[in-house]
Amino acid sequence: MYNIKKVFIFIAVVVLIALIAGSFVGEDLVGRAIIIGLGIDTCEEGVRVTAEIVSPASSGEQIGTFSKTVSADGKSLATAISRIAELTGKEASLGRCLIVIFGQNYYEQRDLSNEIEFLIMSDSFKESSVICCAEGSAEEMFNKGAAMSQGVSLTLSSMFKTQTKQTAIVTNTLLQYTLSQRSLLKTGYMNQVRFIPSNNVNTNEPDKAQGYFDLRNIAIFGENKYMCMLSDAEIRGLALLNADVIGSTFVCTEDDKQLTVTINSKNIGLSLNQDDTVKCKIELMGKVVRTDSGEVEGPLVSQDTKDLSPQVIEDIVKQATEDVNALLEKQREYNFDVVKLHETFRRKNGDSKQLDELATADIKVELNVTFKEK
Amino acid sequence: MSKDRISINQYALMYLLLIAGGKFLNLPSILAADVGHDSWLTIAFSFVWDAVCLVFLLWAIKINKDSQLDLSAILSKTVGKVVSKIVLVIFFVMFVVRTNILLAACYKMFAVTFDVSTNWIVFVLPVVALSVLTLKLGFTSVARASQLLFGIIFICVVSLLFSPIAQVEFGSLLPIGEAGWGKIFSTSFLRSFWFTDYVFIYLLLDNVKVKNKVFSPVLTAFAVGAVLTVAMNAIFVALYGSLASQFDLAMSKIGVHFVSNSSNGRWDWLTLSVWLISVFIKIVVFFYCAYKCLEKIFEFNSDKINFWAVGAITLLYMLPMFISTEIALNTVVQYGLLVFALVQYVLPIAMPFLTKAAQIKTAAEKGEQPQKASADKVKEKIGV
Repeated sequence: MYNIKKVFIFIAVVVLIALIAGSFVGEDLVGRAIIIGLGIDTCEEGVRVTAEIVSPASSGEQIGTFSKTVSADGKSLATAISRIAELTGKEASLGRCLIVIFGQNYYEQRDLSNEIEFLIMSDSFKESSVICCAEGSAEEMFNKGAAMSQGVSLTLSSMFKTQTKQTAIVTNTLLQYTLSQRSLLKTGYMNQVRFIPSNNVNTNEPDKAQGYFDLRNIAIFGENKYMCMLSDAEIRGLALLNADVIGSTFVCTEDDKQLTVTINSKNIGLSLNQDDTVKCKIELMGKVVRTDSGEVEGPLVSQDTKDLSPQVIEDIVKQATEDVNALLEKQREYNFDVVKLHETFRRKNGDSKQLDELATADIKVELNVTFKEK
Repeated sequence: MSKDRISINQYALMYLLLIAGGKFLNLPSILAADVGHDSWLTIAFSFVWDAVCLVFLLWAIKINKDSQLDLSAILSKTVGKVVSKIVLVIFFVMFVVRTNILLAACYKMFAVTFDVSTNWIVFVLPVVALSVLTLKLGFTSVARASQLLFGIIFICVVSLLFSPIAQVEFGSLLPIGEAGWGKIFSTSFLRSFWFTDYVFIYLLLDNVKVKNKVFSPVLTAFAVGAVLTVAMNAIFVALYGSLASQFDLAMSKIGVHFVSNSSNGRWDWLTLSVWLISVFIKIVVFFYCAYKCLEKIFEFNSDKINFWAVGAITLLYMLPMFISTEIALNTVVQYGLLVFALVQYVLPIAMPFLTKAAQIKTAAEKGEQPQKASADKVKEKIGV
């Protein structure tokens, strides 16, 4: 009897293991279409999605991974993405998506709320993905891979995440953009990506397009609707007011010599005075640009010889003040706030309906810009 | 030596691992919906109550050092057998409900974060099998496993929590107390069900090895766990702002913001997987505690595993197939709040006094019995 009991237990365990193993539905990596970049344009049906897909090499002859772009139409973003799965024969996986690009025909005419909601509420989609808009269509942008000799998504996300912080280009993530559209004045910004063609000097492939991406332009959005573009001066002002980016440059003249000064660190302080004036203090630190000799930069460096005269410093402060004032004026004109003036009120007094309705033009700003050579 | 015996240091380490659990998964979004960006304050206040009750409970453990009475014995000798069983029933319900909530969160984590699909039954059965193994091997086994895995789990938790710190704007947490201090305090009580993780020690009162220090190792572990939990909540709410109430797997969301993730793969998935081990340890511990409650209530043999009890608990773990976590929280937890608070907060404060009273009664009973035995012998001799 004891042996029969052992046999029954053994059979029960084997059946249980088979049941458990068979119930886990996994997907082979080669069976997945890993989307690393997503482009959204308009089309007749509604939404055209262009996905840059990476598929692991499925044969022994291929080495590494390859990306290709696939476009599909649908009534909504979700249906268009599921069509991509139909076209590729693989399950679309959004968990590695690095960048979302809205095409010009889409963001200039339509409300982005549905698409933003779909992406932000997706459990696997990374909220730290870059979000931007394109000059032209997103589909064309993703097909510039050949001109870049590498995938567009990886190129752009690398530029957005690492290079921009040193070159005075402000960037935005899906999470930050979404939060900006939901609270206070409900305005925020996205970078506009432009492809700038350049001369092809490759005689072996004379017909091949070449070029590079420019990320500098900024588009302003209010409640997920396009409002306006910023000018160069306003973009410089935005960069100066953003604590995360450095690399702003100023060109000054002294004794007929042209000096270029770069900002290598800064302190930004926004506080609310008793009379509800926002005190905006910008402390810039920088030095004359030399050739790239590996100089150590940042606030925690030893003192170096001073090259700049008080007149040059005054000129830098004047230029910086003009750029910041240009942005503040544009904010007042169009009633948007991308420099957290409303947030300054919220941090002191909390959320309120009056604060949500407070126009940017009604906020007085006391600007104080200083520069120190360091 | 009993196979359920653990030392105070093992208890401290396990407590540190168990503090997280649901507080790193569902609770942040629930509190964000209640009090917005002041949720970290609610958690801090809840931990203050926990600290007070923990001190009393540790005092009771110290008093119980030599007598090694279990919870059932202490309560039976002081408040009566009926009340003792009622308390154990309350504990049983609490352990089962908390385990179900944890299982549901883990199930969702695997499905949406790791994209592993399965059905509920075959998700829960291996966990139950692991728990039954713990019953067989004794609580010492899970305490040892916790000691072995503590280092790597702790490193992963710290890595996950502090990797996005450069991107966090802590100014978003201002102004402090915006939700209203009254609401913050009341929420800390209304959500008390998620706290008091120390309760598992009740079912091990007769198996705690106390050598020298009792308070310092446990309170140190508690302080570290509390700080990490408050920090985690603050980081999550500061990162997600008004969206925080919509994401109920907070820990999986925080890791997304590790900067190098974008080009270097999903490091957050790796650290998250390791941290999940602590959640499974918590589930196993709660299963053990639920089983011990049934053992004491129905007074069955503690030497063999009672498969009826195991079966009953397993069937209760199937409830999430029929009742969602939200409904469970809005019904059982909400209506049972005061009842649970009795065992979570009132009982620990009373424990030192109940333990002392039980000890005195036990000593008195032992003192009477030798006297009674010798009186019976005399009567036999003289033929009365």
